[in-house]
Amino acid sequence: MDIELTINGERTTVEAGSADDLATVLRQHGYIGVKCGCDGGTCGASKVFVDGEVRMACGMAAVDADGSEIQTVAALGTQNDLHPVQQAFVDNFAVQCGFCIPGMVIQAVALLDSNPDPTEREVREALDDNVCRCTGYQKPVEAVLDAAERMRGAQSVAADGGHSVTVSPNANESTRCCGGDCDE
Amino acid sequence: MSSDDEAPTADGGTASQSEAVEDRRSEEHPLEWDEPENNDKAPDERDSVSHRTEKYDDRKLVTGQAKYTADYEERYPDLAYAAVVRSDIPHGRVTDIDTSDAEAMDGVDAVLTPESDAVPDGKYTSAGQSYPEPSPWDMHVLNKHVRYIGDPIAAVAAEDRTTATAAVEAIEVSYEEYDYVTDPEAAFDENAPQLFEDVEVENEIVGHDYDRNRMAHIGGELGDVAAALDGETHVHETEWETIRQSHANVEKHTSLAYTNEDDRHVLITSTQVPNHTRRQLAHLFDIPIRDIRVQKPRVGGGFGGKQAMVVEPIPLALSLATDRPVLYEASREEEFYAMRSRHPMKVKAKTAVTDEGDIVAIDIYALSNTGAYGSHGMTVAGNVGSKPLPLYSKVPNARFEADIVHTNTPQTGAMRGYGAPQGTLALEGHLDEVARDLGLDPIEFRRRHHMEVGDLDEIAGMMGGEGANRRIRSCGLDECIERGKDAIGYDDLEQPDEDHLHRGIGMALSAQGTGVAGDELGAAQIMMNEDGSFHLQVGGVDIGTGADTAFLQIAAEVLGCDEDDIIVKSADTDVTPFDYGAYASSTTYISGMAVKKAAEDAKARILHWGSKLLEEPVEELETGDGTVYSEASGDSVTLEDIGYEAAYGGDEREHILGKGTHCTEESPPPFAAQFADVTVDETTGEFEVQKLVVAVDCGVAINPGMAEGQIEGANHMSYEMAVSDGITLDDEGRAEIADFDEYGLPSATETPPIESILVETHEPTGPFGAKSVAEVPTNTVPPALSNAVRDAVGVRIREMPITADKIKTQLDERNS
Ligand code: FES
Ligand code: FES
Repeated sequence: MDIELTINGERTTVEAGSADDLATVLRQHGYIGVKCGCDGGTCGASKVFVDGEVRMACGMAAVDADGSEIQTVAALGTQNDLHPVQQAFVDNFAVQCGFCIPGMVIQAVALLDSNPDPTEREVREALDDNVCRCTGYQKPVEAVLDAAERMRGAQSVAADGGHSVTVSPNANESTRCCGGDCDE
Repeated sequence: MSSDDEAPTADGGTASQSEAVEDRRSEEHPLEWDEPENNDKAPDERDSVSHRTEKYDDRKLVTGQAKYTADYEERYPDLAYAAVVRSDIPHGRVTDIDTSDAEAMDGVDAVLTPESDAVPDGKYTSAGQSYPEPSPWDMHVLNKHVRYIGDPIAAVAAEDRTTATAAVEAIEVSYEEYDYVTDPEAAFDENAPQLFEDVEVENEIVGHDYDRNRMAHIGGELGDVAAALDGETHVHETEWETIRQSHANVEKHTSLAYTNEDDRHVLITSTQVPNHTRRQLAHLFDIPIRDIRVQKPRVGGGFGGKQAMVVEPIPLALSLATDRPVLYEASREEEFYAMRSRHPMKVKAKTAVTDEGDIVAIDIYALSNTGAYGSHGMTVAGNVGSKPLPLYSKVPNARFEADIVHTNTPQTGAMRGYGAPQGTLALEGHLDEVARDLGLDPIEFRRRHHMEVGDLDEIAGMMGGEGANRRIRSCGLDECIERGKDAIGYDDLEQPDEDHLHRGIGMALSAQGTGVAGDELGAAQIMMNEDGSFHLQVGGVDIGTGADTAFLQIAAEVLGCDEDDIIVKSADTDVTPFDYGAYASSTTYISGMAVKKAAEDAKARILHWGSKLLEEPVEELETGDGTVYSEASGDSVTLEDIGYEAAYGGDEREHILGKGTHCTEESPPPFAAQFADVTVDETTGEFEVQKLVVAVDCGVAINPGMAEGQIEGANHMSYEMAVSDGITLDDEGRAEIADFDEYGLPSATETPPIESILVETHEPTGPFGAKSVAEVPTNTVPPALSNAVRDAVGVRIREMPITADKIKTQLDERNS
């Protein structure tokens, strides 16, 4: 059947069989930032935002996503203008083979969205179902803590006698991309 | 600063050490190494190497744009998908394969069985090693005689993955079942079921005895171990056991094959060994090497599991049969039961020690379970002895022996550490126990004996071949121990307030090699573009380690340009020069040296053009900051001008090209000192690892950020080997693991903090002083944690994994 999706801000109609999972459908349409490291739900590599919630795209029927808004890692930042989380992963050498990284970045963004000042323990808990074989989690955890600090620094600018104003962490309006307007 | 700054001088600053080792081959292994000019750069002179340069592909990786093999799917609209029928009995002969239902299915393009024309019936080994191959040819692409639950029997290509899987399920296989054996000690018995007849194996290995399921027996001796063990000394013996560990690379084994417009067979494949894969496919399919192209895109982790031609023949056979591109991506379940794993082993360690605490003999024996096939079996077992034993190179008598035995269990193969983790557990656990029994401090005990600069390491050479005797020219073990002790807080350890909790610290040393001595080759070429930028083509393989970045840092250091001005193309056999591949910790050392030579070759031509343009002699000129400049006059010309001038100006136009090839007889060991801080609950045996610290001497770290990442990742893998069950099997040898949850890789919350410490030395045989880093920290957590538990509550766990139950049982036994 045809389903309607808004993927990284772009509305599209795609065909999906009843057995097709969302990861497969997204990948077939070129969204290769959705990785498949397992056969369902145990590695976290396929994480995307579906209507703002983190979901493992491999574990969700594509037809159930009909009408939703999806953001993959590609929506967060571009190579020349990385999201602060992506930038922190790069700057902290938290990326090795990179296969798990899209899912990790999505999860980290979701964490910092709801908890801008996490403890190390909270970061580890957030990443608990993201399997990474390369890094031992040490540098990814450091990267997320670093990103949190950067984002707090960027978001909270004391101006005007101590009143905080919020500015966006980078060109992307919020951590959840642009709410549907960008053309990434 | 480097601890080797006080390195021994020729006058014998190391005399006391050399006395302990009979120095028969000093001429062949000089301490003073004829190091190329400009290889030893002081930290303040380094422009690119040993800087935390951003990883070359990171921006693509974090934005999800980098392409791994499966991501090429969209390029081939005609793509078919492969799936494989695998044996569900441990041992037997296939009597019939009924493919009729599968063939009748809509969307099925081809079903291949061992009888199909497109399927080669020759024997081979999946081990991706140099030629002549040191592994037996005992495998077929598809099998009639099946030897483990998971052996491939038939293969299918279909329009989509779902259809391919359904077709596999529709295929009926009938067997004649044989007796089977899964226990390596039982397999050794003369009456055990036999996996191979002699005639079923080509390229057999030394010491094979297929009547007793023995694939190989290897060994070597230095001095007279039996006599030393007989002497008036303390003789200790312990036995250790390790798990069947999975590589658990997050990207599954994936391979895409097609025949291109030039009638050449192309494989885009997730491999560590493109050149070996090309050679192996040529051998197997009887296709000229030149007609096969192996391209390595981004690789989502290998760890040795992809130093093997595991999946490639399947899509190639199917694409030949269907005339379509075919993609084969193993399932996660197949990863655990039908790809590769670390050899589970039992290792015995025996030492003779004098009353004064001098070790006079070390004797190690390993029984390695190679599973159904022999790939990497002999060489991995060899490293059980040849990697850790040299740590104690001053010991006058040493012996190592190993039996490598077939069982009807899943296939083993190369895995990060490559035998060293098994040997390091036995040796470092054993010596710790010896020291404690003798009432000596385990750390000081090791300090008295460990290897030092100047040592002639004959233990590495005692088995001949790979580990020829070598001279140790860089060794930072003392500093590794010192800094590790500080970081873990060894000297001011506080015990918990609760009486039933006890805290302990364990340490273990480790040595690896860097490349395979006498058996490596890397090559690279650099071309200069007319805008002054460069293309670096290198056979070296980046499987996620950051090798490409290390290559361009090395090239940039020589060329005096910005790293951004170099494009790296690595590992495409049509485009890049020959290379043995990413294994044996060789990439930065071997391929990196080839890159350095290529860059120096190009630099010579650049200086020539600089000399023309500046009208100054070449000897006055140097490269740096994107220019060629003259120290004498202060004049300079940009690389861009040189690129333009070389291409478009003057009569003697040339394309500036540099080439470099590197082989070596050397394999300098990197070193590590591991510390584990554990708290054990005496009432339950439960334990918590507070922290892991590992200090590593990898020479000069070409990129310290990446090196730390390698160390931490390796240590995590090592931690898993200490605390996880690995791939468990049922009585028939069937893997009980189907997904990551069942496998039990320590997750982010289950992993203790890992602190990595880089101890810089200078290895004169490596590019800018580098040796390897990625394997040595894979070896050390099992012994360090076993030692820490011993330190905390006095009991010794020798069988991995270390669990609360095992600790509790031992505590109960002791207390009763
Ligand atoms: S592929 Fe979706 S969680 Fe592993
Ligand atoms: S970076 Fe390789 S799996 Fe995480």
